[in-house]
This record gives sequence, structure tokens and C-alpha cells, in this order.
Amino acid sequence: MKLRDKVVMIAEAGSASGMALIDRFAPEGARFILNSEAGTDALVPALEKLHAAGCPAIAAGADLCSPRETAALLDRAERELGTVDVLIHNRRAVRPAMVETCDEERFLSVLNANAKSAFVVTQAVGRQMAAKRSGKIVYIGSIHAEKPTGASFAYSVSQGAIKMLCREAALVLGRHGINVNLIELGPLEGDDVRFRSGISALYEDYRYKVPNAVLGTYADVANLALYLSSAEADFLNGADVRLDGGFLMHYMDHKMKRPQHETTGGAP
Amino acid sequence: MKLTGKTALVTGAGTGIGQGIAVELARRGAQVAVHYNRSADGALETKRRIEEAGASCMLVQADVAHKPNIDRMVRETVDRFGTVDILINNAAMQLNYDLFEYDEEQFDRMMAVNLKGYWQCIQAVVPCMKARGQGRIVNISSVHGKRPTDFDPVYAMTKGGIRMLGRESAIELGRYGITVNTVEPGAVDVGKRSSMRSAPPPPANVAKPKSRPRDIRRKFPLGRIGLPGDVAHLVCHIVSDESEFLNGAAIRLDGASMLL
Repeated sequence: MKLRDKVVMIAEAGSASGMALIDRFAPEGARFILNSEAGTDALVPALEKLHAAGCPAIAAGADLCSPRETAALLDRAERELGTVDVLIHNRRAVRPAMVETCDEERFLSVLNANAKSAFVVTQAVGRQMAAKRSGKIVYIGSIHAEKPTGASFAYSVSQGAIKMLCREAALVLGRHGINVNLIELGPLEGDDVRFRSGISALYEDYRYKVPNAVLGTYADVANLALYLSSAEADFLNGADVRLDGGFLMHYMDHKMKRPQHETTGGAP
Repeated sequence: MKLTGKTALVTGAGTGIGQGIAVELARRGAQVAVHYNRSADGALETKRRIEEAGASCMLVQADVAHKPNIDRMVRETVDRFGTVDILINNAAMQLNYDLFEYDEEQFDRMMAVNLKGYWQCIQAVVPCMKARGQGRIVNISSVHGKRPTDFDPVYAMTKGGIRMLGRESAIELGRYGITVNTVEPGAVDVGKRSSMRSAPPPPANVAKPKSRPRDIRRKFPLGRIGLPGDVAHLVCHIVSDESEFLNGAAIRLDGASMLL
């Protein structure tokens, strides 16, 4: 088991990626701090399943943009499970937002949900990890830390900020024996809708722009996150690992790997 | 590279890099709106140098953390000069707190000035540029949009955000004839920055360490650090007619120091 008795905190455990992370990490012996800003209701099934399997776990609905709520959650978790060994930050709020027309509320809601929560939780968990001189932090980010969307600029701005947070934290926390890395994820099923754009054709035929014509899944993410959270990745620090099947390498449409019967159109 | 007849708005032009850019734009014929927040004396000096170059200048005070301030700044510029052809986003803070020192208020303030402010300044000038079917926007960022600082994580986060703001703006606004580019300077000799936390003074009996030429050469292949004029010359090239096809670029301007 790769995470025997390790305390794993999942920032947004109620999301699809959160569920995949729980499923992948539980058999490895982890103990869980499950958080969801939406509250604990959505976490009940996962919590019951973990308890039934004998996995220690707690659920919380802390706002990770609030240093006070984050500290309170970590205090409670320390009493019930211990201090955090692995932090997975997987909040990825996307809202349509154009540079020209977006309003301030929308911009800040996306920036804070993604980048501010990452900073606040890194600071709080980083203190715990620095005190015990070990830990792993993994941000589940996006290929849009590099590639503009033409649909949700606030999202890509927040991803650019997280990318630099990862590099800063890798230096500062690295001196305390902590590894900090970033997964730049995409494309997943539904991203053509999530990032629908009148400007960028990036997501047209997007499945076939992945050289092997398959989209990513949250199980792929969980596999990589597990590796980054384990002792096997002790020398990996400050890296951005692009998990996109080669999507961003694409640029010649006529070479796309399409099924023989299909000549145009989107994903089947 | 004449800029005669163009109107430029330069934020943070009361000090350092912004001052250098504003003066160089004026030397090439642009009329310049000099924005400042707290550096009123510096802004007056910028104005003096611009007028010495024979160009028109106006001063406008605003806190770019607040959108109403930004809207007023652009409105005053348009009232005086008729439009904005060139926006140089340059006003930024650096607090030099480490990861564990930052509090929430400081984090929010950094994001509001360095990141939200850049976006909202772009948003505020788009109508002018769109109406004329052309415009030039240059975001002054930093090498710390890619390389961590190791002394101010939130500063680097804002610069990482600016990289993507530049790319998104470039693909979105290009259809209006507006280009958006980013300049990423390395160390630039700007004198002491007012927003920077000052280092504690050394004890009286300790001599201030001097940078020896050999140290400079080890860190900077050209044997010197950057000057505001270096940034200003690149900015003037980007906003000129010669750079019509340059869009969405981020140009590192550090004398190759980041490669060592």
C-alpha cells in the first residue's frame, strides 16, 4: 500500500475528480479529510462507503478561501485523524467569461474559487507539513494554464496563478522536505461544452486532436495524483505534468485519427 | 517608429519603468496620460520630462484596485485627448512577504492591483480601440511570470495570471485590430520602490555589501542589470506600426540573466 495511514485532504471531494481520488486512494491505506464547499450532504455516500471499508474519514464543508475556516478544519482533522500528509487541491471552477464583457463578481468568483483557495490551503497545510518536515501537495490544474480558452479567461488566469503558486511553494516548502507538483489536465468529456467559444476552435473535434483519439478521465487523474502523492515521487518537485494525451501537441487537422466511417463532426 | 498623433495611457508612470516608458513614448511623438496613485511627485517629474520632449501630457490619479477609479481615469484621458490608442499596464505592487507571512487582506490587495487592475484597465480602453479598429495593449509583467521569486509567492501568482490574461486578450481582441503583448523584464534598476517593504537597515558597524563587477557578470551576461529605458524601447517597438502582427507574445527582457 502506497499511502498506509497517510492523512489525505481532498479540497473538493464532492466533485467527479474527488470521487475518483477517493476510489483510487482508499485501497492504498489512506485516511481522508473530505471537504466540499457545497457542504457535507454530497459527501455522505462517500463517507459511509469509506467507513464501511474501515477507512478513517471525516467530512467538512469549509470555505477554503477563508483562513479561519481552513484553520478550524485542520484543527478538527488533527484531533480526529492527525495532521495532513497529502493535500490534493482539485477545485476547478469554470464560468464563461470574456475579457471585454465579464463583470467583477464573476471574475473574482472564479479567481478565488481556484487560485485563492489554493493559496490559503497551501499556507495552512504547508505549516503543518513544515513542522513535521514531510508532505506532498498536488494541484489538479488545467492545460489552460498555458492555452487560452477564448471562453473563460478568468479560469485560465486562475490556472496561470496556480502554476506559479506551485513553483513558489516547491521552493519554499521543498526546503522542509515537502513536494509540490501540478497536474495540467485536459481534455475531458464535456470540455467542448464547458469551454464553448466563438473565438477558439480548440474544442472542435477535440477527441481527435488527442493523437490516440481518447479523452482523459478522472481515473487517469487519480492514477497520476496517487503517484505524485507517494514516496515514489520523492524527487519530483515544482513540476507541471501535462496530462492531456498529447492534445496540445496537435496542429495538423488532416492527420487526425478518425474512425474510417466518420469524416466530419464532433465526438461520437 | 514615430508615434505622432497617438494617445498613450501609462499606468504607474510616476516611478521607475512606467516613467521610462511614458517619457520614451512622448519622445517619439505620442501624447501621454500619466497615471499614478501615490507617487504624485514622481508623476510631476514624468510630466516635466515629457513636456521637455515637446509632447502633451496629463496627470491622472487613480487606485487601479477599484473599477470606478479606472473608468474615471479613462474618461478623463478621453475628455482631454479624444481617445486611447495605446495602453501600457504597468502599475503593480510587490510586498515581499513570504508564503507564511501573507494575510488574506494582503493577498486580496495584491490580486486587486496586479491582476484585476490589469484586466479592468484593458476592459476600460477596449471601447475606444474597438471604435477605431486598432489598438495596442502592453502588459508589463516580470520574469516571475515563469520563474518563482522565492521571496513573494503572491507577486508571482499575479504575474502567472497576467501571462494568461495576455493570451486570452490577444485571441479575443485581435478581431478588433487590437494587439495584446506582455513584456517580462528581469531585474531593472528603478531605485527604491515605495510599495516595497523596506529591508531592515544594516548595523552601523557593518559595511553595506557592494556588488562587484564580477558578481554582476556572473548573473548578467551583458555585465549590467536592466534600465527603464530598455523596457521603454521594447514597448515602443511593440506599439509601433511595425509590430502589427505581434500579438499574444510574452517577451522576456532580462539580458539573458534567467538563462544562467
